Amino acid sequence: MMLSPELINLITGGLGFLFTLLIFSYMLGDNPLFRIAVYIFIGVSSGYIAAIAWWQVIMPRLVYPLISAITSASMLNLGVLSSIIIAALLILMKASPHLTGVGRIVMAFLVGVGSAVALAGALIGTLIPQILATINAFDTNASSLNNLDPEMLINAAFVLAGTALTLAYFHFGARPKADGSLHRLALIEIMAWSGRIFIGVALGAVFAGVYAAALTAFIERISSLINFITGFLGNFL
Amino acid sequence: MRVITIFIAILSGFAVLGGYFLGGFFPVLKDIQAQILNAAITLMGVAALTGIFNLISVHTEKIRQGKKGGVYSALLIISLVLTFLLGIILRPEHIAMIAVMNSVIIPVEGALMGILTISLLYAAIRLLRRRVDVLSLSFLITTIIVLFTLSLPFGDPPLLGDIARWWSQIFALGGIRGILIGVALGSLTTGLRVLFGADRPYGGR
Repeated sequence: MMLSPELINLITGGLGFLFTLLIFSYMLGDNPLFRIAVYIFIGVSSGYIAAIAWWQVIMPRLVYPLISAITSASMLNLGVLSSIIIAALLILMKASPHLTGVGRIVMAFLVGVGSAVALAGALIGTLIPQILATINAFDTNASSLNNLDPEMLINAAFVLAGTALTLAYFHFGARPKADGSLHRLALIEIMAWSGRIFIGVALGAVFAGVYAAALTAFIERISSLINFITGFLGNFL
Repeated sequence: MRVITIFIAILSGFAVLGGYFLGGFFPVLKDIQAQILNAAITLMGVAALTGIFNLISVHTEKIRQGKKGGVYSALLIISLVLTFLLGIILRPEHIAMIAVMNSVIIPVEGALMGILTISLLYAAIRLLRRRVDVLSLSFLITTIIVLFTLSLPFGDPPLLGDIARWWSQIFALGGIRGILIGVALGSLTTGLRVLFGADRPYGGR
């Protein structure tokens, strides 16, 4: 039986309407309707992720190459894929509390690879570009090429000061005083206090961005509720 | 066992790092890195499936023991298994799976994001009531400036708009850059601790 696109749209819209209402019921407090929607959402999302992992990771990277290696009798590929399959089986052992230790070797491999990727990503993707962006604003060669005006230099100095003062806030090295109490150096303390202003401003800008995005989503959901009701009633009026 | 796991973590980590930093001089390191990353991606997929299997087993146990909220767990398992079977039989790009996405996942995500509007507003009011210091004041002033000056439907007000733009783009940039560098330094340190075997999050004391 094939469903018509109109009917699929009606069912999809109806379910979307229902789930939006169930989630919005949270505004009245935590209640069973909200929980039903959230549990179904977690179930559907997990099932969807599992299907994606199956079709986009395991089948093309493990099953199809394995079939290809068997049919072409490529011993090297077969050996590599066999070792991955053994590792995959060891990971699956982690699902059982009694066999969880067996999967530790593969977890060590994943943690090692993950740490290296995170380390390289932090260095190449964040640390070096951010430091260079701060320094390059003062590059005299670049400034003559781009006709950098004094206002931009002042702005760059302000950004540099903000970066340094923010980092100073996270400096927690302290020296013991004669009475045994621990205190940061006075200069660091002043820098850290100024850094708090920059951190507050940065977090405020991020918060405003998130709030604007949340507000947009809220308006979109309200609009979808109204559209569904008017569309539904339009079929009968 | 402990020594073997540390050795594997260090070896695989340095092999990947070798590809990043020495791959230009020794192309073979790039090939090794690609093979290791491919294997890691496949194993991550298997790990995701194992995690979902664990979710099913935890909720099945909850139902079996007749714990409170067992009905919700049953709903979770039914929806999970149905979606997974549908995805396996029809594939994720099938119209039925897209319908599942449009009828459950997107509306719930949007509605949860919408609820965040009220939660965030409540949190901001609580912050102002509980803690009035330089950090909270600069935080709230920036939020008000960005939301009420740069988000107006009829464009930026003449002078106020320039000040607000400078505030949100230059003033905030210093702090954001400092936080980003701090986070990167933290990731760097954590990665190095794992690679030198000081931290072993994969198990073993």
